[in-house]
Amino acid sequence: MDLSYVLQLTISGFLMGGVYSLIALGLSLIFGVMKVINFAHGAMLVWGMYFSYTILKVTGLDPFFSFFVSAAGLFVMGYVIQRTVVNRIMPFHEAMQVIAMVGTMMVLENLAQLIWGPDPQSPQTKYSLSTLWLGKVMIDLPRLFAFLIAILIAALVFVFLKYTDLGKSIRASADNRTGALLVGTDVNKVYAVCFGVGAACVGAAGSLLVPLIPISPHTGFPFKLTSFCIVILGGMGSLPGAMIGGLIIGVAESLGTIFIPSSLKQVISFSIMILILLLRPQGLFGGKG
Amino acid sequence: MKKKMNRRTFLKYSAAVGATTAISGFPTIIRSQPKEILIGSVQPVTGPLADIGIACRRGNQMAVDEINAKGGIKSIGGAKLKLLLGDSEAKEEVGRMEAERLIKDGAVCIVGPFMSGIAMAIATLCEARGIPFVIDIAAADVITQKGYKYTFRCFPTVSTFMKNMGEYISQIVKEKKVSVKKIAVTNTGDLFGRVQGKGWVDYVKAKKLPFDVEVVEHIEYPVGVADLSAEVAKIKAAKPDLLCPVTRPGDAKILVRELFKQRVEILGIASPGAPGLYEPEFIRDMGKLADFVLNNVPWVNPRSPKFKEINERFSKLYPGKYVDTNSGYAYLGVMVIADTLERAKSTKPEDFLEALRKTDYKENPMVGGPVQFAANGDNLNATSAMIQILKGEIKVVLPKDAAEADYIFPTPQLWER
Repeated sequence: MDLSYVLQLTISGFLMGGVYSLIALGLSLIFGVMKVINFAHGAMLVWGMYFSYTILKVTGLDPFFSFFVSAAGLFVMGYVIQRTVVNRIMPFHEAMQVIAMVGTMMVLENLAQLIWGPDPQSPQTKYSLSTLWLGKVMIDLPRLFAFLIAILIAALVFVFLKYTDLGKSIRASADNRTGALLVGTDVNKVYAVCFGVGAACVGAAGSLLVPLIPISPHTGFPFKLTSFCIVILGGMGSLPGAMIGGLIIGVAESLGTIFIPSSLKQVISFSIMILILLLRPQGLFGGKG
Repeated sequence: MKKKMNRRTFLKYSAAVGATTAISGFPTIIRSQPKEILIGSVQPVTGPLADIGIACRRGNQMAVDEINAKGGIKSIGGAKLKLLLGDSEAKEEVGRMEAERLIKDGAVCIVGPFMSGIAMAIATLCEARGIPFVIDIAAADVITQKGYKYTFRCFPTVSTFMKNMGEYISQIVKEKKVSVKKIAVTNTGDLFGRVQGKGWVDYVKAKKLPFDVEVVEHIEYPVGVADLSAEVAKIKAAKPDLLCPVTRPGDAKILVRELFKQRVEILGIASPGAPGLYEPEFIRDMGKLADFVLNNVPWVNPRSPKFKEINERFSKLYPGKYVDTNSGYAYLGVMVIADTLERAKSTKPEDFLEALRKTDYKENPMVGGPVQFAANGDNLNATSAMIQILKGEIKVVLPKDAAEADYIFPTPQLWER
């Protein structure tokens, strides 16, 4: 087998993995703190994409510069969704939470279809077709930028959680809700901010994907499934786990196409997920199972 | 605080319930008179194929509006048509449920459903319920091979597609004296993508092409895929001369862009027939990269006056859109139903079927002759044309007697434009 071919697959997969990581980071953060599985995650990704797409259409500003607008927009959306929907369902059984979250997903998806229409939109940006060649191996520049920005955002989220007061309250509320309440933390506000930060991550990831894939109201679905696998692989609620997991899944999906048909691509991520559940249910970086 | 149900609240509620029943109940009785004939349209209006689904629904609706504007079905006292709307979400089980609902709501027949898998599901249902099913679009041969009495299809079958594709490709290779030795085929993983892709692979493997050629790569990926970099790397490694993709709208764009980025050298892209590569949205987003794509599709007949008429109306209603395979066949499906009702003079399934079998609908806006049904329900005269995108416009290039322009092959590489 051609080495450059294998290298090509590895690089493409690795770079895509960076964006997967950012999406999964949002999901993991929300789960880690609130123990709510955000089924609307894919739909939020799509909204992030559409925000950047609209900015591109109206002002001509490239998605790689407008990602923070998407992130801010999604932060507000996440904050509101937490306050209006998630906060009310947190004490309930998981099955009941699922209904509300899937409902939120449907509302978001269909609203997007109402506003932006059903056509897959794939706007040309200045360098959506730019490439860099290392011998026979191609590096897709939009993918490389997306990867770098995704890693940067993830690093910022880590810093935020580790060193700011608000970040510390988020971690405190995740560790021990009652304890946090006792020392005077406004847990509801902390949760809303946390949901907002999770949504902002996925919103930014959406912007980064605009030059790479066509946007339609239902684009988010495969990403949602993949990020579930990543979160389980890395450990539910573990943020480094989400990062490493994303890269692993990205490379595995890409390299897997050498051995199995592409239509079974997701078999790879799901097989990894099942293996992890069997052998190390807490995930690679999860704490006690 | 819990409210107790007392006499007054009970009265209030029962009055409300009574009123609602009255409001929603009466029109049902009015509807059952033959003033309005209900046609159930099931299309993938939301989900991954939403843009196509909406185009199909618009095609269905345009035909209904045309018939009504001309005074409805004259032989049934000028009864007006009404489209009952169903949404399959591009899922088989949902498509079947929606058809079931429309039949319950009083649809005298079902039209749709764009996807072969869903057509299979609805055909079984219609057979059980005794309701005629006129397929506007769905290509898999198997749908009409089950001996169903109630299912008829306006669209060409996969075997027709393959036969035409073979002839057109042979003609191109012969006329341009190029050497095509290796073919790569890609397809989406739904029923249509699978039979269409495999159909072409089998055709080539059966040595039905008059030159020496082999399939060097056959790749299948799921509908709604988000990344095709690995697949295109695989195609590149196989070094094909010709790429024959069976796509859907989203992946068509990803595929062409990846071919550009990875600098895959091919003589051209020629689809055995698939949506995704001819819609206005494809040309809008892809610009120069859309040019020269060949596609073997049941296209509109540019010389048909009927086509000119409906295309004008369609582009006026929906600026930026034109009548293509999807909206065109959806329109045709309902027109065939209207023509049948006119001749059947009744909405009873047995009369309807009787008339449907004798259909000879000549005002066809699509390539191919008048709509006539074979014993198994297939349209005898449905066929396809080879189209090519030239300077951002779609032109019929083969067969020669319908051609609007000469085709270009081999085509310039994507990055040299």
